[in-house]
Amino acid sequence: MQVEVDRDKCVASGQCVLTAPEVFDQDDDEGKVVVLDDTPAPAAHGRARQAAAMCPGVAISLRDEGR
Amino acid sequence: MTTPTSAPQLPFTRPNPMDLAPLFAQLRDKGPLSRVTTPAGDPAWLVTAYDEARTILGDRRFGKAHPAPEKASKISGAAIQSGPTGSFEDEEREHTRMRRVLTPAFSAPRMRRLSSRIQELADGCLDDMERARADSPDTPVNLHDLLSFPLPVQVICELLGVSQSDRDLLRGWSERIGILDGGSDAQEAMADFQAYMGRVAEAKRERPGQDVVTDILKVQAEDPTFTEDDMTRLAAGLLFAGHETTSTRIDFGTLFLLIDPARRDRFAADPEGLVQATVEEILRLSAPGGLGLMRYAREDVQIGGVTVARGDAVLVAINAANRDGEAFAEPDAFDPDRAPNAHLAFGHGGHYCIGNALARTEMRIAFTSLFRRFPGLRLAADPYTLREHSERLTGGVNTVPVLW
Repeated sequence: MQVEVDRDKCVASGQCVLTAPEVFDQDDDEGKVVVLDDTPAPAAHGRARQAAAMCPGVAISLRDEGR
Repeated sequence: MTTPTSAPQLPFTRPNPMDLAPLFAQLRDKGPLSRVTTPAGDPAWLVTAYDEARTILGDRRFGKAHPAPEKASKISGAAIQSGPTGSFEDEEREHTRMRRVLTPAFSAPRMRRLSSRIQELADGCLDDMERARADSPDTPVNLHDLLSFPLPVQVICELLGVSQSDRDLLRGWSERIGILDGGSDAQEAMADFQAYMGRVAEAKRERPGQDVVTDILKVQAEDPTFTEDDMTRLAAGLLFAGHETTSTRIDFGTLFLLIDPARRDRFAADPEGLVQATVEEILRLSAPGGLGLMRYAREDVQIGGVTVARGDAVLVAINAANRDGEAFAEPDAFDPDRAPNAHLAFGHGGHYCIGNALARTEMRIAFTSLFRRFPGLRLAADPYTLREHSERLTGGVNTVPVLW
């Protein structure tokens, strides 16, 4: 799984950080998304998928889903 | 504005606090958008389908301001979310400014740091429950009064830098401004609430603190267009939104977990492991309040087979969208194993609830602590007989009687 984010679309909701804290963080300044691990371990895939599905700005995309 | 219409009027009658009004699903079967009458008697579109709800919430052609506010459909006689807000021309700029002020205080990293304090407050609430039980062993304990209400109110008071000792005052104002046909009493309560926040702000100007009111004042000092009324309305809104909503979710979540003893036992066996997904399912399924999120079309928009005209009021029924069978299999079933669970409890798009991390953190701590302490918790009343406050914007129940 490859995690990509579009910071221009990010609305700084922070839901991704709460959902998958091993994959996402927020910067201190604007609260925008920061990727901590763009190829997360399989154990985190479910949480990353939940974060992407919930993202209110549709700023998170996941590639190679299911592999 | 115009009144005569045969469209069904909100709020719709629901059978009990756990189930939605059946009319939502009936309307959705006919189409994603329906003509309805608001509690104030004005025409509006009601969005009941998930896809259209999500699209509208993420679409900048829908906003909270109105091109001609005096002609806008009124939603209700509450003192908040009753009609258009802000300036039509400057809506985006004002919204961006507000988000910038508030984002740092409500960010997930800040919530992580706040977690241990929330845990202390939750433990204090559970101690109070134990004491109440010991003092009067034959009487059920009202979880609403001892956990669901006091926990969020204490947390938001600390975050805003407002004194805990005023919480009964705040509770009174909060209830009055959220009554759908509150009228002049709701306006009076809002005025008193704002005057109170003005006094809090005055004190913070002299002695700044580590709190959100101080953050807001810093921004206000640098921006002459940020009026005193803007500031006190924002602070009062945060205090209202910061506890009424979370409070009802803790009540409803407890009801959903306790309705089925097997469900409770499963959760109580591993609260830490199950809490994240369980909270998301509680957020999806619990449906306090019967209206939804309010928008006005900024231009004519074709959606869901209808034309929403510029200036039309749109109510996005997120509770109904969260139970749309097209988006969620067996939508009325409580299933914490759904993955992903992309519910709309906090909205979607640029207005996504800024307090979502706070609410999620409080709920996770509340449910984990509650079922760690009282794994045998049970309801002392039939939940289907509890009365939901359909007259309130945020809905909710006043009693959740429990024993253990």
